[in-house]
Amino acid sequence: MTDRHGIEAQGLVRVFKKGPRAVDGIDLRVEPGEIYGFLGPNGAGKSTTVLMLVTLLPPTEGSARVAGYDVVSEGPHVRASIGAALQEAALDPLLTGREHLRLQTTMHGMSAADRKQRSGELLERVGLTQAADRKVRTYSGGMKRRLDLALALVHSPSILFLDEPTTGLDIQSRLALWAEVERLARDEGVTVFLTTQYLEEADALADRVGIIDHGKIVAEGSPADLKAQVGRPTVEVVPADREERDRAAAILARFGEPCGSAAEGVAVRLRSGEADLAEIVRALDAENLKVEHLQLHQPSLDDVFLAKTGRSLEGAGDEEEVTPAAELALDRA
Amino acid sequence: MRALAVARGVAWRTLHNVFTNPSLLIPSLVFPLFFFVAFAGGLSQVDNVPGFDFPLGYTAFQFVFVLLQSAAFGGVFTGFGIARDFETGFARRLLLAAPNRTGIVLGYGGAALVRWLVTAAVLTIVALLVGMTVGGDGIDLLGLYTLALLVNIAAVLWAAGVAMRLRTMQAGPVMQMPVFLVLFFAPVYVPLSLLQGWIHGLATVNPLTRVLEAGRGFLAGSPTEVGVAFAVALGLAALFSLWALRGLRSAEAAG
Repeated sequence: MTDRHGIEAQGLVRVFKKGPRAVDGIDLRVEPGEIYGFLGPNGAGKSTTVLMLVTLLPPTEGSARVAGYDVVSEGPHVRASIGAALQEAALDPLLTGREHLRLQTTMHGMSAADRKQRSGELLERVGLTQAADRKVRTYSGGMKRRLDLALALVHSPSILFLDEPTTGLDIQSRLALWAEVERLARDEGVTVFLTTQYLEEADALADRVGIIDHGKIVAEGSPADLKAQVGRPTVEVVPADREERDRAAAILARFGEPCGSAAEGVAVRLRSGEADLAEIVRALDAENLKVEHLQLHQPSLDDVFLAKTGRSLEGAGDEEEVTPAAELALDRA
Repeated sequence: MRALAVARGVAWRTLHNVFTNPSLLIPSLVFPLFFFVAFAGGLSQVDNVPGFDFPLGYTAFQFVFVLLQSAAFGGVFTGFGIARDFETGFARRLLLAAPNRTGIVLGYGGAALVRWLVTAAVLTIVALLVGMTVGGDGIDLLGLYTLALLVNIAAVLWAAGVAMRLRTMQAGPVMQMPVFLVLFFAPVYVPLSLLQGWIHGLATVNPLTRVLEAGRGFLAGSPTEVGVAFAVALGLAALFSLWALRGLRSAEAAG
């Protein structure tokens, strides 16, 4: 049985009528206290997976246990154990931030005194104390996201689902939310399942990353392990005199095999890793070759995505934009 | 226990929105009063039609219909709110936050009931102020208001079932039209005995006719068809409870 703070899915499938096989046999396991990043382009199946794990959408096939409970047959227990902030923060424009918290705490059966104390705590934690008594229709996108996070935390859940929590946020709000997610995992031991289409978000936050494409997990592991799987770092050199491109290529060839680069430059995949960088600089200097630009490129999660799918993650979703709302519309059709 | 906590939260939010927003509150109060004034005032000469035998006069005769109508449409208006919650995505928040989702239906139902009680109180006060006479005693009036309350519950459960299946505001006519037809194919303007032709046949088999006749009997102090009326009202409430719960399952399956 899954640990009561973990997530486990086996062969999870969701097929929409007249629509795509949005999730196509996902197996995953998230350990207690772990931040698991679920990375993929738009339409890859991230949100559909989350909807099934939080009991908002029944799987077509397969099974999943969240906090030790089956998402189909033990939905009430799952919901009592989790908090979730979904992609679109559906808030009631007629209620204030504090009133939203009152609704949420009441639904979780808290006493009036606990409701008041917990609401005050959470409003302060997400920086909404000043705006607590304003109707949420006056809130900015970042404020709505922060309120959504506070609502997900009212009952101190052991597992937190965040579906693209920083999409559309400015950098300041994004960093603040990252800090809070890290604090929750570190200080409170909350298991976090985070979907994102931002590479840097998964890289910065996640202990482990699952990369999903066309409804299947194509790679899984820690960001460092995944990047190590796709290869060694590369160095790209752009000579000051473009006529010396061949000479630069010959020098670099001593350190590794050639790989793709910008048209005016040359690049090699380093045989001995980034330790060769100093030697390369010395070699270029010794050959008196003037360099306009030199860059060490570490493999990124985008390289991992490219290696596993043959496409770049940036813009991959543009070719097949299927949002959860569109998926539901397809289902209804 | 958890269902009750969820119901309390949902009911609080629905009532809070209604009572703090005049645009939501006023129509539910004004429409029944408008119908009452229009029907009871505009058609007051029906009192003199041969065969009209309601002892308390036409104002009291119409009051019972408008009371039941307000109960039924109060339930339908709540259904509009449920559909709006699904359309805006707020219902998803409720489905996610509610450990026990049956409490969501209970909460909407409880809010509809409180909302209708306010409407019923205002309607009753206005009716008494314009001279409506009451023949029944306290027990009779309790019977009348209990019947209306059951109609309110049945209507909200009907509308909730539709709203949760279709999950769009465009479902409004589907919720409203059957209720409208059932109400107006009952003996609204004259007693059943004065209706003729197909409308008489239709009104005779219309289950709401029994409820309306019993309600008028309660107000007049001469209860009639009480058992049948309560059986109809309770039966509708029970039937639409299943309809609403199946609707909830449908909404859960759709996500």
